[in-house]
Order: sequence, then C-alpha cells, then structure tokens
Amino acid sequence: MSTGLAIDAQQLTRRFHDKVAVADATFQVGQSEVFGFLGPNGAGKTTTTKMLTTLLPPTSGSATVLGFDLRTQGSKIRERIGVVQQQDSFDQGLNVETSMDLYGLLWNVPGNVRRDRVRQLIEDFSMEEFRRTSSLDLSIGQRRRLQVAREFVHDMDLLFLDEPTVGLDPLVRRHALNYFKQKVKEGLSIFFTTHILEEAEYLCNRIAVINHGRIVAVDTPANLKRKFGTAKEVEFRFLEGASPEFQRLLSTHDEVESVEMDKDSGAYRAKTSKPELVIPEVYRVAEKLGLHVSSVYISETTLEDAFISMVEGADREAKAG
Amino acid sequence: MRLVYRNMRANLDKASLFFELIFPLFFIFVEGYGYTGIIKSIDLGDGRLVSYQVYLAAGAVTLTVINGGTNAGTQLWYDRKNGMFEQILMGPFNRAQYILGIVFATLIIGIAGSLIVFALAFPVLGYSIAWSLRGALLVASALVMGTMFFGGFAIALSVVLRSSETFQIVSTFVFFVFLFTSSVFFPAGPAPEPIRTISLLNPLTYTTDIFRAGLFGLSPTLLGLELPVLAVEAVAIFAIAVFAFRRIRV
Repeated sequence: MSTGLAIDAQQLTRRFHDKVAVADATFQVGQSEVFGFLGPNGAGKTTTTKMLTTLLPPTSGSATVLGFDLRTQGSKIRERIGVVQQQDSFDQGLNVETSMDLYGLLWNVPGNVRRDRVRQLIEDFSMEEFRRTSSLDLSIGQRRRLQVAREFVHDMDLLFLDEPTVGLDPLVRRHALNYFKQKVKEGLSIFFTTHILEEAEYLCNRIAVINHGRIVAVDTPANLKRKFGTAKEVEFRFLEGASPEFQRLLSTHDEVESVEMDKDSGAYRAKTSKPELVIPEVYRVAEKLGLHVSSVYISETTLEDAFISMVEGADREAKAG
Repeated sequence: MRLVYRNMRANLDKASLFFELIFPLFFIFVEGYGYTGIIKSIDLGDGRLVSYQVYLAAGAVTLTVINGGTNAGTQLWYDRKNGMFEQILMGPFNRAQYILGIVFATLIIGIAGSLIVFALAFPVLGYSIAWSLRGALLVASALVMGTMFFGGFAIALSVVLRSSETFQIVSTFVFFVFLFTSSVFFPAGPAPEPIRTISLLNPLTYTTDIFRAGLFGLSPTLLGLELPVLAVEAVAIFAIAVFAFRRIRV
C-alpha cells in the first residue's frame, strides 16, 4: 500500500442518467481506521459502497482502494476486501456450517484453515445452537449473524460493513461491535455504514456525512458534535416542585430556545446553545421567585443532534442554492 | 472450478434433481411401454425399425438437457434473489467467471443427468445401440450443444423475469412447448403441419436427431445441416444470454 491509505477517493461521482447519486465525493480512510459513512435514506451511501467495492463503475473521479486503482485494478481490490451487504446474502438451503465453509472455499482458504476458522467463528458469534440449521429456517437476526461471521472466514485488509447489525439483539450487536474493534486492533480497516448513530460513535474514528450525494462533513465524532451539535439542554429541579411562573420568565431569555417540564420527573429542560449563560439566569430567576435549585446539569449533545443539524443545514443550503 | 463446485452445492435442490431424473424415466418405462401396444414400430429414417419404447428412450435421454438448462436459470435466479450474485461479484470473481461457473455447472449437471438416464435406460436401448467413435462424438455434441442452448435460454429468462412464480411458470410452459413440438415423442418428418415446421425449427429436435444418429449409427441426409444449425443456435442464444446477463443492474 504505497499511499498508506485504505481508501483514497477523489471527486468520485456516479450518475444514473440525469440523476446524480454521488457527486465529487472526496475522502480518505487510513489503515486500521473505522470510517463511518452516515446519511439519510437515498443519500448515496450504498452507491458509494458499490463503487468502492468495484460493483459499480464511477462516472467520473478516481479512487484507490488498498493502493490499487479502482478503475484498472478491480480484481486486486476484490481479493483483499470483505463486504457485508445491507441486503441478505445467503446460500439457499445450506446450513450455517456448510455455508461458511463453502464461502471460505470461494476465497480459496485451505480446508484445514477453513475448518478451524468456521469452528471459531461459530463460537465467537454464538451460533452453536443453529450451526446445522438450514439458512432458510434461520430468523432474520440469525441469518444476519451468519452473514457477518461468514466474512471473517477469509483474510482481508479492508471490510465494508453496510448496516451490519440490523436485526441483531442488543447483546449480540455489542458483541459484534467489539469483535470489529478487536479486528481493527489487529490491523483491519473498516468502512462502516449505519443508521444507528450510537454505533457509529462507539466504533468510528472518523465519520463522513453524506446528503443528496454530497459529503457535507468529515471529522471525528467529537468534533462533529462540537461543530454541529448546536442545541444543548440544561436540566434542573427545584425543591419546591413546579413553577409555571418560572417557566414563563426563563422562556423570555434571549439565549433560551424553549423550556419544557417533564411531568413524571418534575425536571425542567431548557434548550440552548449557550448553557454557560443560561445557568446563571436559572439561579437569578429562581432567587427572584423564592425557589431553591436542587440540581442542575448540562446534557451533552448527541451525534444524532449533530447529524440532524448537518443534514438539515445541507437541505437548507440546497434549497437556497 | 471453485465457483462450479459452489454452484452445484449451493443452488441445486436434491429433491428437484431426483425428480428431473424420474421424469424421463417415467416416459421410457411407463409411457414408452404403454404405447408399444399401440405403435408397433417406428422407422428411424434409414429403413431400420425400432420399437416405440426404444425410440422414446433415446428422446428421453435428451430431455435431461432441458432440465440441465433450466438449472442454469435457477442458479442465477437464486443468487439474485438471495443476494449472492452481488456478494460473489464483490469477491474474487468477475462477471465472466461467474457466468462461466454457471455454464460449467450446467454442463456437468446436464451431461451427468443424461448419462444416468442413459445407464438406467440401457436395458431398453442396449440391443439397438451401434457403438462407434463417430456415434460417441455425435452423442457428446448433441448433449453439450443442447445443454448450452437451453442453459442460455434459461439464463436469459431468469434475467428478464424477476418473480420466482413467473420464472417457474414461464420456464415450465416454454420448455413444454419445446418438448412437445420436438422429435422426442414422434419423428418430425411425417408430422402434420404446422407441427412439422415448428418441429423443424426446434433446437430440441436437432439435439434429439443428432443424439439418435450417434446412438443408433444413423446417417440421415439432414445431419450435415442439423449439426451446424444447432451449433449456431446454441452460440446465438448463449450470446443473447451473456448480453442480458451483462445488463443486470446491481
């Protein structure tokens, strides 16, 4: 890998007749990096993945994957990547064990290595109970587990994961994410597409957000939250309980977007981009009304807040432009 | 070869294969035997007379090339339905290797099926076979080209038809048309019009005629024409199948 990059995409573009599915996508994925690729439905995530996995030729632009040119060295790329597709992919009627073994055979993994890996993966992904069950009789989650585990039967340097945890229960999902993390520590690079933002935050070193075929941001999850996570919440309670007058007065403050009360917990939540200005105001108004603040805390911006902000911002720009 | 093996393991239903073998045997041992009482003998074209059961047995062996061909469409159809088509193309294989994997698996299944049916029909056919190298080459040519034609036809169908029900119904109907307008059950020459003309355009007629010529040591006048016509038809339909296959959107 001469560039030291797992992926180096430069102005990658794909058109379907008049429609531009992906426009000028430029980003890099480092070795042993988990690179998240997020975007709303139809944003261009799967088209980008299909181009990078050589399934779909780009209309223009260029890319290297593992140092190989996307246009001229497709077979070299395919020999060293793995792909877990968003859609189901399984061999009709074969059981879990045979499916994995046959998949390893396709990748030319020697028989003894295949047997050991299949046994280990069945254990790692907790598939012992249904190892002899036909793929047609598996539940959605079990089939997904097979699809993810199967990809690790062969060696690879870069793994494309497209919504890999859909249908998995929380325990198996966390286990799978930790398995990916372990593989990254061992040198694997991952291109990770998901709609579950907590997963992206848990797993990814950097994230690209794509909307309407254009990449709107590429950064670490923490930086994305800092840059785009505008609204924060200041949550507080009073010893005296609810006070409609307090809610009315605080709502008039310039830096407060809204104040709502959670009737179950009795807590107030003030939405603001400047909590450092709102908290003194909470104390000032409380003192004025003779109330005593029992607790205050600032809830952190989530990646979901940042994501929504980025996507809505891009939508507004698209409409304006 | 890895892909061929995988196609044979993953996409072929054992029960279907079993019944694909039963089907021609049923024609030979039930229908052929039953009709022997009505149709005393059939002229092979050179004045040689054989029983209807022997005549039908040879046709029934070529019937397996249709079944083998249908398997080609089924393999592609299952892979597209189950997401394995894209999965394999994102792995160490390209489209040309993928289609060749199907072609070779189809040829193996078609020819192996024919040989099994031939072996089981041997008690019926045995005395009438004229063993020769020329005959063996003709038999092999018929089976290979027939399987290529029907394999290509089924691949093209499976590209066009997206639902499994439609694929099954249409392929069954089309192959029945091929079957009952061919020389599998009756000679094309004496058949009434328009069956005769349709039969003479039907590649299964050519497959069956070449197979019978090889098996019984016949030299019909049209053989020199039937061989190249079947070869051209097989190549043409296969080119259409490859063209259709290349247009599959992923």
